[in-house]
Amino acid sequence: MQFVRSNTFHWAAALAGLFAAFVTILFGFIYFKIDSYLIARSDRMITTQVNFFAALPLDRLIAALDDHLGQDSRGVQFAGVFDAKGSRLAGNVAGLPGGLEIGAPVKSVRLSRVDDKEVNVPLVRAVARALDHGNVLVIGRNVDETGEISRVVGGALAFGLLPAFCFWLLAGAWLSVRAQRRVEEVNLRVQRIIAGDLRERLPHGNIDEPFSRLAAIVNGMLDELETTINALAGVGNDIAHDLRTPLTRARLTLERGRTNATSLERLQETTDKAIAGIDQSLSIVTALLRLAEIESSRRSSAFGRVALDEMLREVCDMYEPIAEDKHIALNVDTSGKLYVHGDRDLLLEAVANLVDNAIKFTPENGAVRLDLLRGQGETILRVTDTGPGISDQEHDAVLRRFYRSDKIRNTPGVGLGLNLVSAIVKLHGFRLIIHSGPGGRVEIICPDEQAGRR
Amino acid sequence: MTKVLLIEDDKETAGEITAELADRGFDVEWSSDGLDGLAKARNLRPDAMIVDRLLPGMDGLTVIESLRKDQVRTPVLVLSALGAVDDRVRGLRMGGDDYLTKPFAIVELVARIEALLRRPLETRETILRVGQLELDLIERTARRGDRNIDLLPREFRLLEYMMRRCDQLLTRAMLLEEVWNYKFVPATNLVDVHMGRVRHKVDGPGDTPMIHNVRGAGFILRAVP
Repeated sequence: MQFVRSNTFHWAAALAGLFAAFVTILFGFIYFKIDSYLIARSDRMITTQVNFFAALPLDRLIAALDDHLGQDSRGVQFAGVFDAKGSRLAGNVAGLPGGLEIGAPVKSVRLSRVDDKEVNVPLVRAVARALDHGNVLVIGRNVDETGEISRVVGGALAFGLLPAFCFWLLAGAWLSVRAQRRVEEVNLRVQRIIAGDLRERLPHGNIDEPFSRLAAIVNGMLDELETTINALAGVGNDIAHDLRTPLTRARLTLERGRTNATSLERLQETTDKAIAGIDQSLSIVTALLRLAEIESSRRSSAFGRVALDEMLREVCDMYEPIAEDKHIALNVDTSGKLYVHGDRDLLLEAVANLVDNAIKFTPENGAVRLDLLRGQGETILRVTDTGPGISDQEHDAVLRRFYRSDKIRNTPGVGLGLNLVSAIVKLHGFRLIIHSGPGGRVEIICPDEQAGRR
Repeated sequence: MTKVLLIEDDKETAGEITAELADRGFDVEWSSDGLDGLAKARNLRPDAMIVDRLLPGMDGLTVIESLRKDQVRTPVLVLSALGAVDDRVRGLRMGGDDYLTKPFAIVELVARIEALLRRPLETRETILRVGQLELDLIERTARRGDRNIDLLPREFRLLEYMMRRCDQLLTRAMLLEEVWNYKFVPATNLVDVHMGRVRHKVDGPGDTPMIHNVRGAGFILRAVP
């Protein structure tokens, strides 16, 4: 009987109660309306009759009354003529009732019949009219019909409402049991997912049903999670692989050095080589940690106004000697002073990374350009080079961790540079656009700071 | 003897650092947790401190903050496995202290401690002199003996920085941070390229070299020889 405690069941019961109350009020209202309608109708009838009878002379009146009462098979009509002293001349009314004023409009009054043996005197709509010679005409009509109607209505109510109420409760119980069963089913599957089975999905049939829609949404989320987790596992493998290569080299060097080194110099040489290998592995770890740090950080108080044009010139100044060594023309073109809201150190790192890449992948006698321009409501920082560029196929891959194009397999580097740029750009709310080759073209789009976004 | 307080909870790391610093003539005091370290820093009055960021008892940055509240101005080198993106670390650098991310090379640590202990040469004079080398800060000119040296602005800045810290090992990371304001280590060996240019100009053919490359560590400018 756990369902009795369930929310669904409580709601169903509350709704059933509300429904019952509403129906009772409705029936009451109908009863009241019918009642007043019936009274109004009999009042009109009584008025018509009294007008008709009052116009007749006494002898014709008595005959007409007898006739009128004789036709009344249901015994609801009351009529009587009384003389000035109050004794009955004709009709079935036992006596002139006290509460009835002569000439007043129709009202409810207790009238007893001549032939009536019943103890309780019915309540009757009646009117009294003065005739010639002090005679009084009384016409009445029993409206106890309404009571009968109310009994019928009450019966109908009992017959209709009770089963309906029971039905509501049953439906509520059924719904709550069903909901509970589904929750149980979902729980079972979720437990399996928690236990590590990421391929498990929630059951869902008809898409229009809320429960199924919810299940479909959760399934969509699970698909996404599964993909991400698999991708992460892939990254883990990549890391392991990238770390293993320099570590293996370091190990081999040390092993050979230990057995073969004959002099202190040789041993030192070996150690230096090994340290270089270990440093390379450490630089991969450092780059990864830094990436994670930037990805999880928020806009901080270090954000301020950064003069991009100055920054580009600084970066250019830094890389000029290297470009010169490779006979690469490195140029900056900025159109006046342009500022963005950001973290100077991180933005410098991003731009330096882009320039580093551009110079690395551009063959000798090429060119690398840094442009800073204004677009519509945005500042565009563009790095172009005459290198191989990034092909359409590689477009998404370059943002993947450790991706290194086959063309540049032998160029030194960790393969996290563009990830870092992408993370920094995202942190700032900027966009990174990588155009496809030939020739490298990467843009950082910095939308203008909107008012209120600080 | 220069006294250095080391607050580091990993015993082996602490052992290596202590041994290396002792070899270089430092008097090292070791403490393995924050509260004890703070007490020692107050009592022993060391000349410099090396503080790990994650410590039992009280974390490293809090130790430094409480010392600063007591007006203790001992220069501090903070060690941490965490990177240096957050604001408290930036504040540290602005306050004249230094920050080193683990894992680090031991020479880097020693170079930074020495840099913290030796305030750079702050001279009223407008001409810096190291041996034969002369740098005119007003005219922005350089000469070695009778020979004029033609320097680009960036080369001038690098040489000025080195001359203010002559006979001191300057690591690549230190030069990147101080001369170029780079808070990261770029993939390409930028410092070596720049240093190559400056060295080529300072140490002409036939001159005794003044700029020395320390293998696997960095560079030193020495008054000859």
